[in-house]
Amino acid sequence: MICRLFAVAPGLALLLAAVVPLASAADWRMEAAGSRLEFTVLFEKTAAPGVFREFDTRLRFDPEKPADSRLEVNIRVASADMMSADINNAIRAAEWFDFARFPQAEFRATDIRRSEANRYVARGMLTLKGVQQAVEVPFVWTTVPAPAGAKGAFASMEGELNLRRGVFGIGSGEWAATNVIGAEVRVKFRVRLRSDG
Amino acid sequence: MLRNSTTAWGGPARFLHWAVAALVLVQVALGLTAAGWRLSPAKLDLFVWHKSLGFMILLLVVIRLIWRLANPTPALPAGLSFFERLGARVSHGFFYVLLIMLPINGWVINSAANVPFSIFWLVPLPAIVAPSPTLAGTAENAHFVLFSLLLLLLVVHAGAALRHHFVKRDEVLSRMLFGSQGK
Repeated sequence: MICRLFAVAPGLALLLAAVVPLASAADWRMEAAGSRLEFTVLFEKTAAPGVFREFDTRLRFDPEKPADSRLEVNIRVASADMMSADINNAIRAAEWFDFARFPQAEFRATDIRRSEANRYVARGMLTLKGVQQAVEVPFVWTTVPAPAGAKGAFASMEGELNLRRGVFGIGSGEWAATNVIGAEVRVKFRVRLRSDG
Repeated sequence: MLRNSTTAWGGPARFLHWAVAALVLVQVALGLTAAGWRLSPAKLDLFVWHKSLGFMILLLVVIRLIWRLANPTPALPAGLSFFERLGARVSHGFFYVLLIMLPINGWVINSAANVPFSIFWLVPLPAIVAPSPTLAGTAENAHFVLFSLLLLLLVVHAGAALRHHFVKRDEVLSRMLFGSQGK
């Protein structure tokens, strides 16, 4: 009896190894309420805040085994709001985001690695204004207690990174100069995620 | 002589008068140029200059008012009619009102339009009203009306000064100039 059990064990372990990572790499969906994607750029040496009002995140992720992850972020660029009617009117133009031709941006990553206890880095491709660029997105993963009465698991991803607008041709022609509108764009995100198993 | 007397303007009062006069002329040129410029980095720079100068003018006018209240005001020349005296009082009063209102009105435009701005690219300016494109439009119209009144007043003011000097031949203009010796 004991002998037979030992004989089966390696096969069982193999089976578990194959199944468990898949089972625990949960599928997460974004909760739009409580999620924010912000950006800040210097406008005449003064911080000009902006936000993408509409974006969505899908994630397959196990914080203990990030190797099998997949991150997809879709951003409706045309939902950009820089809190000023004048500026919002300007950024829709071809020199800036060009809403008409490039209403969407996306980030795709399948390479997520842990850097510290709850810190990870997603390496992927950002497609923005028709330009593809490899981007590293660092984030902090935090499990969040479920709201009263809610089922499933809740977590948040938060992080910040710098992008150079020139790489994506955002601010072209005379706007490519960086003394009036800064070159660096600080991107900040806080994504609330929910998984049903 | 630093302080004013009942017959002469002191150095600080004269300096403040001409400093504000020079800044207002530059400010008018900047404002008209900036408003007419096509949207470009140069336009944004022109507006930073215009708004920054507006704050300098506001500051100088406040200092002027404090200095004026802390000093005697030189008397108008004898022999002016009631209407000449009234005109002088009213037009100078309006000048102060407009020179205070124009920058504050500009501040309202900037706040309502919610355009990020730092005075001379250095000091971030807090908003005095909530963002509102409607209010920004109204305040812009008011800015133009106030500017037109200021222009009208400038013509009256300079015309009256020249009249005092060349027609009435009194000291009203010369006592504001730097070459003259206060008595």
